[in-house]
Amino acid sequence: MLLPPLVHKSWRDDRRAILGWAAGVTLFTLIYGGFYSQFKGAAELKQQALSKGMLDFFGVTDLVSPAGYLQASIFSLLGPLLTLFCAITLMARTIPRPEEDGGMELLLTVPLSRTRFAWQRLAAAGAVATGVSALPGIVLLIVVPVTGMDIAMSYVTAASAGLVALTWCFGGIAFLVGAVSGRRATVLAVTGALAAATYMAHVISGMAGGWHWLRWISPFHYFIGTDPLHTGWHPAHLSALVAVGVGTTIAGVILFDRRDVGV
Amino acid sequence: MTTDLAVLAEDLTKFYGAHRGIEGLHLEVTTGEIMGFLGPNGAGKTTTIRLLLDFLRPTRGHATVLGLDPRRDKALLHRRIGYLPGELTFPGRERAADLLRFFGDARGGVSWSHVTDLAARLNLDLSRPVHAMSKGNKQKVGLVQAFMHQPALLVLDEPTSGLDPLMQQEFLAMVREARAAGQTVFMSSHVLAEVQEVADRVAIVRDGRLAAVERVESLGRRAVRTVEIHFADPVGPQEFAALPGVKDVTVSGPVLKCTMDGRLDPLIKAAARHEVIDLLSTEPDLEETFLSFYYHAEGAGDAAAPAGA
Repeated sequence: MLLPPLVHKSWRDDRRAILGWAAGVTLFTLIYGGFYSQFKGAAELKQQALSKGMLDFFGVTDLVSPAGYLQASIFSLLGPLLTLFCAITLMARTIPRPEEDGGMELLLTVPLSRTRFAWQRLAAAGAVATGVSALPGIVLLIVVPVTGMDIAMSYVTAASAGLVALTWCFGGIAFLVGAVSGRRATVLAVTGALAAATYMAHVISGMAGGWHWLRWISPFHYFIGTDPLHTGWHPAHLSALVAVGVGTTIAGVILFDRRDVGV
Repeated sequence: MTTDLAVLAEDLTKFYGAHRGIEGLHLEVTTGEIMGFLGPNGAGKTTTIRLLLDFLRPTRGHATVLGLDPRRDKALLHRRIGYLPGELTFPGRERAADLLRFFGDARGGVSWSHVTDLAARLNLDLSRPVHAMSKGNKQKVGLVQAFMHQPALLVLDEPTSGLDPLMQQEFLAMVREARAAGQTVFMSSHVLAEVQEVADRVAIVRDGRLAAVERVESLGRRAVRTVEIHFADPVGPQEFAALPGVKDVTVSGPVLKCTMDGRLDPLIKAAARHEVIDLLSTEPDLEETFLSFYYHAEGAGDAAAPAGA
């Protein structure tokens, strides 16, 4: 067997959730991306109807161009909401779920060191979270040419890579919280609150002049604040997101190795 | 690695905040023996076991298992330990066969025919999903996964809970065979009888401290049981109270209750003079009688001396 049995087992236990998320995110991207031409007319009306402030709040610069449409429909709010929620719930299953339901004792009899155990659980969940967060990009590789959107493919790829990086960032934080607390509710509450607060910080920094600096503390700025659908790749910004994800993950593994499990 | 001790606990101590799990435990389990680990619920048995397996980290002291350090050598150690948790919950919702295959693959070197042999012995259907099984069948799955890789050390936390008497006997036979094959067994229980039947020695914990370590032969004499006899007609307490070993006699009408220390024979002979309708003899709760012996009665055994000394 090529894959470690624990990784295999983790996927098997989560297969329904994995298939559900994959199907949901694919469908979401297909529907929003695929119906660009139909939405276009309505979008023009909507843009006129909404105030500038309201559009900023939803992360929308314009609804009519393909870049603006994709940003508004997929990348600004709903896409991250879906992929982050997927990543956070998956990370809550790595350590907190078996620790809470009692299955952890038998999982820990697998002859692995604590750190290896944590890495394998993380690898299983991380691979799925990465795959799910890459799905919008993969689907758009097909949808964009088919619907004839006038946008450079590398710009779409840049934004999609940003979504993966953003998911890694919050996925790492969720793993850290779970590895330390061993509680699912804590993972959802802390990571969810952090995502909501930093999303708000990103929005506010764009709206009010005096709060411009706020964007630097928001992962959403590093993801979409650089406007990748109009400007393409920003490797430094994406690296910052990945660095947070990697850093929190390593911290999570180290702290899990040091604590009591299942008390 | 060249040690004849399968388990060595030195001053092993675990506090959960201010709450004491186990304190100052000195314990030696010799390679190839069956050691019973007795104590009432909450005495610290499970805490001790979790410390040996590195699920918990000691507040103080140290444990050596199979000559290895539980934390540093966890990967190596768990290949050679078979563990049955006291609170048995299985990860996932798969069939018993798939779950056991996972444990087999993870540990390596497990022959599937050995797994099916164990399952057949315990009368366990591996094609059913574990989460839908009865408590007894779950316990059997737990036993199979603990024994399947023929580990050098079996750590079994309340192994017979949920098993019917027939399966309990089968389990005890498996434990004896493990000893015959050179494996060490460390099994906790709050039922004296089952441990007495197979164990070479027992360690008794109470309130987070080791109360005694004794050879099982020396326990036999202290087997106290409660006896309840239902007669056809009312009887008087006086003819039973004087019998050797009989204590705490209460009679209400035709029902006699007493505790019996030692052989039942005198009591049976005396009862046979009347018409007996029913006879009930039960192992008393360890907490109530057996342990109280160690704390309130005279011969406190090795209790005063640390086991490691």
